[in-house]
Amino acid sequence: MPDDIAPTRHQRLGSNAGDPHSRLDGIAKITGAARYAADNAPAGLLWAVIAGAPVARGRVARLDTAAALAHPGVTHVITPENRPALHKDPDLRAALFDWKLDLLQDDRIRYAGAPMALVLAETAEAAAEGARLLAPEIEADPARIGFGDGLAFAAETVGIGAPPATAVGDVEAGFAAAAQVTEVEIETPPQYHNAMEPHAIVAQWQGERLVIDTPNQAIVMSRPSFAAYFGIPPENVHIRSPYLGGGFGSKAILNPAQILACLAARETGRPVKLVLSRAQMYGPTGHRGATRQSLRLGVDAAGRLTALSHHAVSATSSFDDFLEPAANAALNTYACPAISVSHSGSRWDIGTPGPMRAPGEATGSAALECAMDEAAHAAGLDPLDFRLRNYAETDPATGRAYSSKALRECYALGAERFGWKTRPMQPGQMRDARGRLLGWGMGTSLFPAPMFQAEARATLRADGSAVVETAASDMGQGAWTALAQIAAEGLGLDLAQVEFRSGDSELPDAGVAGGSGHTATAGSALYSAGRDVIAQLTALATADPASPLHGAGNRAVVAADGWLRIEGEDHRRESYAAILARAGRDALTGRGKGARDPAHAEARAMFSHGAVFAEVAVDPALLQIRVTRLTGAFAAGRIINPKLAESQLLGGMIWGLGFALQEEALHDRRSGRLLNADLAGYHVPVNADLAEIEALTVHEEDRFVNPLGVKGVGELGITGTAGAIANAVWHATGRRVRRFPIHPEDLA
Amino acid sequence: MADVSFLLNGETVRLDGIDPTATLLDWLRDTRGLTGTKEGCNEGDCGACSVIVTGGDGTPRALNACILLLPQLHGRAVRTVEGIAGPGGELHPVQKAMVELHGSQCGFCTPGFVASMAAAHSAGATDYDDRLAGNLCRCTGYAPIIRAAEAAASAPVPEWMAEDTGLLGALDSDMPTTADALAEWYLANPEGTLIAGATDVGLWVTKQFRALGPVAFLNRIPDLRGITVTEDRIRVGATTTVAEFGSFIAGHHPGLAEMIRRYGSTQVRNAATIGGNIANGSPIGDSPPALIALGATLHLRRGPDRRQIPLEAFFLEYGRQDRRPGEFVEAVSFPRQPDRLKCYKLSKRFDQDISAVMGAIAITVEDGTVTAARLAFGGMAGIPARAAAVEAALTGQPWTLETVTAAARWMGEDFTPLSDMRASAGYRLKAASNMLLRYFHEDRGTAVNVLEITA
Repeated sequence: MPDDIAPTRHQRLGSNAGDPHSRLDGIAKITGAARYAADNAPAGLLWAVIAGAPVARGRVARLDTAAALAHPGVTHVITPENRPALHKDPDLRAALFDWKLDLLQDDRIRYAGAPMALVLAETAEAAAEGARLLAPEIEADPARIGFGDGLAFAAETVGIGAPPATAVGDVEAGFAAAAQVTEVEIETPPQYHNAMEPHAIVAQWQGERLVIDTPNQAIVMSRPSFAAYFGIPPENVHIRSPYLGGGFGSKAILNPAQILACLAARETGRPVKLVLSRAQMYGPTGHRGATRQSLRLGVDAAGRLTALSHHAVSATSSFDDFLEPAANAALNTYACPAISVSHSGSRWDIGTPGPMRAPGEATGSAALECAMDEAAHAAGLDPLDFRLRNYAETDPATGRAYSSKALRECYALGAERFGWKTRPMQPGQMRDARGRLLGWGMGTSLFPAPMFQAEARATLRADGSAVVETAASDMGQGAWTALAQIAAEGLGLDLAQVEFRSGDSELPDAGVAGGSGHTATAGSALYSAGRDVIAQLTALATADPASPLHGAGNRAVVAADGWLRIEGEDHRRESYAAILARAGRDALTGRGKGARDPAHAEARAMFSHGAVFAEVAVDPALLQIRVTRLTGAFAAGRIINPKLAESQLLGGMIWGLGFALQEEALHDRRSGRLLNADLAGYHVPVNADLAEIEALTVHEEDRFVNPLGVKGVGELGITGTAGAIANAVWHATGRRVRRFPIHPEDLA
Repeated sequence: MADVSFLLNGETVRLDGIDPTATLLDWLRDTRGLTGTKEGCNEGDCGACSVIVTGGDGTPRALNACILLLPQLHGRAVRTVEGIAGPGGELHPVQKAMVELHGSQCGFCTPGFVASMAAAHSAGATDYDDRLAGNLCRCTGYAPIIRAAEAAASAPVPEWMAEDTGLLGALDSDMPTTADALAEWYLANPEGTLIAGATDVGLWVTKQFRALGPVAFLNRIPDLRGITVTEDRIRVGATTTVAEFGSFIAGHHPGLAEMIRRYGSTQVRNAATIGGNIANGSPIGDSPPALIALGATLHLRRGPDRRQIPLEAFFLEYGRQDRRPGEFVEAVSFPRQPDRLKCYKLSKRFDQDISAVMGAIAITVEDGTVTAARLAFGGMAGIPARAAAVEAALTGQPWTLETVTAAARWMGEDFTPLSDMRASAGYRLKAASNMLLRYFHEDRGTAVNVLEITA
């Protein structure tokens, strides 16, 4: 068997990979034809509305269910008193990605917006009115929100099952050897994903089968989580999720609305549709937890780090344990002989946080990059020079070689493009022609390049075209396009010859669209499946005396453009269709898996990197801050589709802008309710918030990360950017603001 | 119940006996099955539900369908994302560019962007940053969308888009069509609700789930709409939209026009009315401070009775205005004057955000002496209000930095602002004072405007 069809080694890819192909789902999206979960309306459906708790802590003493039921159109009101039994205790976590859910198990209120009741009605309006008519009587307890009021606790794990503390080297000795020690404390607020598409589900039962339309980032993996609540086998759960209107982590974890809708559908025997309002997305659907981070940086006379400690207190709910792993940012970014990172928790009366675009990396990088800027200034060094002096040639946490790392090239490219070299050392030195204070700052971007497990199927059809299948999630990043490109590569076909089926749990498991590892993982599976087809096809051809490829033996057979040919003997070739026809086959199916080679995983540190440069202009009288320029240069292995990747990076950078200057959830201290549970008060950047933004990429040839050489770009851009903007604000004004987001009044 | 008729994607729709507070968005999605238009926030903040509405003047405008009540559409033409491509499926130039330049990622905001972009394209507008400030995107970083808008700019407006103009001039309606009829109706229904642009009242429905009782829609009353300029006064009809007022006022008070550019979003400005912004009595409405600084008079009408009061006198205290049952705002007027007005809108997010402080300042200087000073602020009190003590400290004094610095100290006498999530009391006070200093410096030529970038 020719050895290029066993994709364990680095693969040379053809023209499909690297092609800035326009997204294949583009037409559906710009004409409104793309169907999102809430667009489904099966016949006979009931509308469900959650009545959410108006305070953050206490109990529901009374609900006027009679009034709700009396409203025309209202058919059912489900409360803890009559909620049908679930097969699983919602306060138990059975799997790694299980969160404890509020599913009307009792009358306790654990956060504002937690479900108190579910109202079902013939129309959306009637259900909403029914929920209003419940007029709850609440016995409220004081809300414990904020680091002052929260209950401190020792962390057992952070993120998804990661250790809460890690130490490398002798930190105390490192600080003792330092010529200067910079200490910085920085707070980051609760932030909410605010995908443009509100969470939605349409649930219907077909006997013992549960059919669900809902946006989901882990389509096959989520089946057991749903199934457990209803005591049915996972394969009885059919999840359809062709388009997600953004996810950012919030659609990877189940939320109470989803289970309650399924329960209501089973109870009523009718399809049930539940769409959260924007306001209802601030509580039960996860968020980025607040952090209070303390960093100490020891620096020697040569400007090299001697010790780095990073501790984060991460806020979580009163009843579950997800902690933002912020301090881990210090583990892999800069060379340092002694690093100590640790986390502890603070329990607040809020919904449980969860992963949100670069969970831990975003918050940790924001603090670390600010601390690095301060240390650089204290050492009298340019911030870029300081970072280059502390460039990690091997992973500081493990000592492993990087699978690839073109960060130096990113620094150089970004700095050149931005014009960094003319930056004055001292703050407050630059003004634009209108008198605004200008400041320049930078930050390093870093994000792991993980791989998960995925499977895929490829079927070559008699006409030489193919169908490839895996249950990938396209939440906007471009899975429909980039994965199809990779699949086409694996099959040696043009993209137009490949039909990609995805977004449905009846297809092979594509793993999770998270951790920026979906393209690498699902893509590897698709590629392998294609190679499997080609291997079988080659075996058919070379064994057939009538084929021009007969007896190719060990000579390399190349698959391209729908033809197999023997390398170097181009006349010895045959089309896929001809091979199948003669073999009397109307289809040929191959299977593939995506997972990392364990040997490489053991031996190498795998990260995407980048450098972000920011310019801000600050109005000296009103202190309004405008980001006038953002330049990012990123290295993330092989870029499958530059058009998609650039937009992912730009999108990440603008999240960094939101992090730096806008995004924060504000709680009323008495009720614990959010003050700004809407898009008028919870600010995300609008187009006009940014004058100029640019994302550049540096190619990396990575032979270890996976055979495709693909890392990930989904979360990279937010890291580095928030710190770069904060540092630019300092450079403009001389003010170090220790709390994100930076408000104009913090500069007063 | 109301009877309404309008054009939807080129087809005439007649709806009899509809709930007058049904929104276009719900109707499109749930009744009509046109699910391309999305609900992202249901209160006009995100633009995912943007549609194109063409009125009697033939100009297509982007509006938020989520806070557009069906009767507001009477006699107009609506085009949703499903109708922006041609009847044979030919893509609109902005659609083509959005695909080619990757303006769509998750796609949920895309129909709204396409509607806003197509409306701008039809109007030949190229101020994309402003046109699209009301459309939030959480994926792309916006740059590809702007590139798409630019790329489509030179393509001709497709012929099917032009069908929406001028078809619906005179449709029957049971809604009041004259100010006299409205006055009579309101006298008979003083507990009723007047609905103009519904950018505020719409939220009573979609967010607060209020039942409005009897309602009257003002969009079919031509004599309440429009701007009249006489030799010495400018009179703005109550239902003149903020967008219309903004483009008109650029020629008289460019600083006010510039502020209006950041007032809400294009979609909101296309719907919201000057009269509505006054009548709802918001302490942070952006137009009242500017109009007060211009010395505006409010024209109120109740049945056959009319009265005029200084605009600032209309605002009594938070949530309470000098408006009797059955009385409505007919117009606001102000004297024509040399342009001494500057507006400073301070908000946490620069664009499409509610003001923390909105300052409007008009100071007249003759022979080096301040002869008149009008400073009005939003966000500094429970109502839009003048800074009387500061005005007094300025008037009659030489126009110098010393005068201004001394007068600014009186700001604390005039206002005791709140601390809230938009800004702290101290910052508000400081910023209001600095607005006066900025006014002085700009007047003296050391101008600083946050937007006048040259870098």
